[in-house]
Amino acid sequence: MNAFEYATALSPDSARSLVGNQGAYLAGGNDLLGLLKDYLINADILVNIKSLPGLNKIEPGRRHWTLGTLVTIAEIEDNAGLAQAFPGLHDAAMEIASPQIRNVATVGGNLAQHSRCWYFRHRDTVCLKRGGDLCYARESDNRYHSLFTGNTCISPVVSSLATTFAALDATAIVLRNGKETPMKMDALYHRAWENPLAHNSLDPGDLILRVEIPTSRRSSAYMQVSDKHAFDWALVSCAAAADVVDGKLAHPRVALGSISPVPHQVEAANQFLNGKTLDDETASAAADMILKEARPLEHNAYKVPMAHALIRRTLLKLKG
Amino acid sequence: MSSWPSNPKYISGSVKRVDAPAKVTGRARYASDIQAPGWLYGMILRSKWPSAKILSVNLDKALKVPGIKAAVAVRDAPFNVRFYGEEIAAVAGTSKQACLDALRAIEVKADVSKDFVVHESDAIKEDSPRVWEDSANAGAPRAHNKGDAESAFSECAAVIEGFYTTPVLIHNPMETHGSTVSWTDEGVTSWASTQGISSVQDGLAGALQLDRSRVRVLTDFMGGGFGSKFGPGAEGVLAARLSQQAKAPVRLMLTRFDQNLAVGNRPSSFQKIKMGATSDGKLHAFQIENYGTAGIGAGGDSGGGGGGANIPSPYLYKVPNYRVSQTSVAVNAGSSRAFRAPGHPPASYGMECAMDDLAVKLGMDPLEFRLLNDSSEIRQREYKTGAEKFGWKEKYQKPGSSPGVIKTGIGCAGAAWPGGRGASYTTGEAQINPDGSVEFRLGVQDIGTGTKTVIAVVAAEMLGLTPEQITVKVGDTNFPPGPGSGGSTTCPSVSPVVYDICANALQQLQAKSGLPDARGDNWFPACKKLGVTPLKVSGQWQEGLASGPAYGVQFAEVDVDTETGLVTAKKIVAVHDCGLIIDRLTLASTINGGVIMGMGYALYEERVMDSLSGVVLNPNFETYKVSGISDMPDIEVVLINMPERGVVGIGEPATVPTAGAIANAVANAIGVRVYSLPITPAKVLAALGKVPAPVPS
Amino acid sequence: MKKPEEEKFGIVSRREFIKGLGVTAISTVAAQTAAVAQELEKANAEKVIGPGAVPVTLSVNGQNLQLQLEPRVTLLDALRNYSSLTGAKEGCDRAACGACTVLMDGRPIYSCQKLAIEAQGHQITTVEGLAANGNLSPVQQAFIDKDALQCGYCTPGFIMSVTALLQKNPRPTLAETKHACSGNLCRCGTQPHILQAVFQAAGVSMADKTEVIKHV
Repeated sequence: MNAFEYATALSPDSARSLVGNQGAYLAGGNDLLGLLKDYLINADILVNIKSLPGLNKIEPGRRHWTLGTLVTIAEIEDNAGLAQAFPGLHDAAMEIASPQIRNVATVGGNLAQHSRCWYFRHRDTVCLKRGGDLCYARESDNRYHSLFTGNTCISPVVSSLATTFAALDATAIVLRNGKETPMKMDALYHRAWENPLAHNSLDPGDLILRVEIPTSRRSSAYMQVSDKHAFDWALVSCAAAADVVDGKLAHPRVALGSISPVPHQVEAANQFLNGKTLDDETASAAADMILKEARPLEHNAYKVPMAHALIRRTLLKLKG
Repeated sequence: MSSWPSNPKYISGSVKRVDAPAKVTGRARYASDIQAPGWLYGMILRSKWPSAKILSVNLDKALKVPGIKAAVAVRDAPFNVRFYGEEIAAVAGTSKQACLDALRAIEVKADVSKDFVVHESDAIKEDSPRVWEDSANAGAPRAHNKGDAESAFSECAAVIEGFYTTPVLIHNPMETHGSTVSWTDEGVTSWASTQGISSVQDGLAGALQLDRSRVRVLTDFMGGGFGSKFGPGAEGVLAARLSQQAKAPVRLMLTRFDQNLAVGNRPSSFQKIKMGATSDGKLHAFQIENYGTAGIGAGGDSGGGGGGANIPSPYLYKVPNYRVSQTSVAVNAGSSRAFRAPGHPPASYGMECAMDDLAVKLGMDPLEFRLLNDSSEIRQREYKTGAEKFGWKEKYQKPGSSPGVIKTGIGCAGAAWPGGRGASYTTGEAQINPDGSVEFRLGVQDIGTGTKTVIAVVAAEMLGLTPEQITVKVGDTNFPPGPGSGGSTTCPSVSPVVYDICANALQQLQAKSGLPDARGDNWFPACKKLGVTPLKVSGQWQEGLASGPAYGVQFAEVDVDTETGLVTAKKIVAVHDCGLIIDRLTLASTINGGVIMGMGYALYEERVMDSLSGVVLNPNFETYKVSGISDMPDIEVVLINMPERGVVGIGEPATVPTAGAIANAVANAIGVRVYSLPITPAKVLAALGKVPAPVPS
Repeated sequence: MKKPEEEKFGIVSRREFIKGLGVTAISTVAAQTAAVAQELEKANAEKVIGPGAVPVTLSVNGQNLQLQLEPRVTLLDALRNYSSLTGAKEGCDRAACGACTVLMDGRPIYSCQKLAIEAQGHQITTVEGLAANGNLSPVQQAFIDKDALQCGYCTPGFIMSVTALLQKNPRPTLAETKHACSGNLCRCGTQPHILQAVFQAAGVSMADKTEVIKHV
């Protein structure tokens, strides 16, 4: 970790000024300090944003709930109202990393975290995502990588909040050039789909302020499979959300994590599910649609049946 | 011949670990906690190439970094590096930050045109790049045969063939390797995180060309080793050289990243096994071709000791006809070191999987099949005891017949450990003071197995005192020498010595005090008679108080999710013979630890090498996956108490059979064999035929 | 080392911005309490400090530690290498093993992935701070009684996680206990005994999982 300057910002505007073009915002720090320690990025200043006023609140609302960017994962996990409104979000939060990380990790940090690809994270493999000329994973060990991508890099998005927010059709409000810019999850990650260097669509200095989750889907679920039973990244994660009216799904949405640079969503599958009563067959047909375009590589093809199972199971949890 | 007391008060009881209070309060000072006056922080620069010729190492800029007091290259350039992470240079400075900056200021010129190979299956090919220029990667096969395996197979009623593979494992003790070293005119003092204070003393004396008497090694507390921490290592020698240059003590602990590259591992195994039995269920023919890698070590030996990639074979069972051929294959990766029961966990895994596969083919219950073929009476007993406790008969179902999506399966496996007897050269002493206080000093070390507690328990028993009244000092080369803590030898090494010290002490106290028996109530009056001179008594290891080998069997029950591939270990019953139990509490801990490490071997752990770049891809706890508390099965430990055998070490046998038992349980659950460890969800789904072919891009 | 002159900033020059603030530096050497430290943080807010060492005041186990640290120094580094509080251990330095776990305002965190400078104004508790007047805490005692440790290197971290768990949830279930301890690794394999220790500290009995059978 190289030396850096440090400042605590008291307003988003001053945070933006302080961070300049070569700085980084510091909230939970889990991802940032890891990147700095391994010299994967450099920052000339860390701007502590945890004192920004009003961004650490969980606020219920009739049309949507608001999660401030500084809300910690532990606060999501522990919030009974949130668990009732969005059980899928609660379950996603519970599976994120470990208690020690959840106690400091924030909503904004979880969404903005960099790739966990083991080539990207390795100090001595300068891959495409680090400005090199080779996607090592594509040629070599891609067991943890994407089934879908729009570019040469195959590192997937691993934010389980992003997956869940996508299913809940949540909107991140990003402060960009002094303006509040709303971004749905597909927009928030779209650049990573196109550009191997990108982890998300944020520009330097962009600051996620909050996430707004519509209350229109009262049923939600989240499931993941990892190699281990806890404190392990998802091999595949899946979130689903809908309103269940008379046993029928209304405006359902399904999203998957760890299989694409963006939360993987197939609009046709959402439309197919709309108005349907859920059973194994329907869920399975939706899973087929969601995974139809999958391009498995040498070592990650197992993610296809795993994702299929997770989609079915997560959808069937919506019944209750 | 000496014998242990027949109705002990503390021996075989549950005495609390004597150094636990220091460990739960943070008072215990580990090697990495040592803050010698004026200490400096040390760090190592490592090769970022898997194979290169280092042409020059320029330390000038590093030495100019503020706070840096010393910088050394491992040797004069040019020199070759043969694996990613090999040591190149080291620095010492007043802070970690200074060292970090200095490492980046070191200028290394290298010729990196050399090819490299990191996977065994590539290295074994004739046209593979060579790790060592003058010898082939694959050593000459080591073979031993008995009978006529070839024709014996034709006499079998059932024959199975399988290619069972195990990965390279990394020890990853929670405290990394390293030490604080102070080199002054008086000599070298090393506060080392080690399993062998004597071997570190030897290693430093040799490397620094000092008399052994001028090297002192101290290890009050150390954070685990599992076979990887016997010598000073390059890091210990570098710390000494930095200390000499800086004229200050240097603490050089490896980073976790370093730990995963260069300080040992368990060799891999690729076991092509063919095995057959006659219609009465008797093993008749066995054949194995095995290769594995111990890293850069070539020709069947590992560079770091520990016997290369060979495994004991045929394991456990007497087969009248067999053919064994094994090859150790060099790759450009860190060398192996002894890793808890060297050779045995892969041997048990391969053989015990083959046993189950053959039992299935014969249509036999795998436990019955073992009982028919295992000639060890102790293991027979352990199987029967364990099966009852585990509920084998009630739980056993034909492979794959468990209903539903999540299938349950059970399996078992056996272990042998030839060691565990103790080292006969172990010595020790005690100082008995006129006030009745007594201090035992043994030149061994407690690596977490409870050695200090064992000494206190035996001493308390023999002297009629309580364990709290015994002061135990270990971890100092100024004490009478003892063995390194490896091979399950420490407990059977120290217990007889403490016995002897106590017997000698009682004899001398009796003579000096005139009291007929100085034990118990008479202890303090007897000591008082010493006047002003403490009594110093020494002791030797005694025949008849310790023995080996050790036997063990384990049973496993798992759930396998056939849609996601996730394996959940639900229950393990571990049945082990450990002769005379010294302390039940710490013994149970050791067995739990063996089981859990074995479970990691079965389900999670694997060093991943990248063939494109030659790096270790998972040099961290994020992707080198170690069992966590959420992965824990319910573990039941059954101890067969056999005091007549004396003290038997247990550290290794407890970890030997777990992977085989779990692998067999998985195969029993899903009805197909996963041939490769670790048994990840990806491999389970593949074995079930659910994984589609890759789509060409 | 980088040269500050070369830095370029977007929107507003950071240094001009700071000049505009006109915050006076306060000598932290005088800081005695966490409250003062908090005030200090506020006063220092929006003031750019570092990259060289700056005064940092940490409240650890109810006492103030006054240190000179570069902003890049982690809390763990500060405890272990800039003071003598070596109870929290370094196992990975990457928020992955839990050996460095301390409590910050009662919640377990990884001190290796927290900058010391950020921990100012918070109450830090390390394993050294648990035994009140030399009396072991119930969790510490339970770890001894159940032999919930072997080499002991992970033990301080586990004890901090368990302490936080029982403060929040005095009678946890097995699942809750595993969930709360999932951020701590142990390589010796003490987890079964740790679970027993947690239950003892919570006042719940748990069956002994060890059986001794006499050889006949």
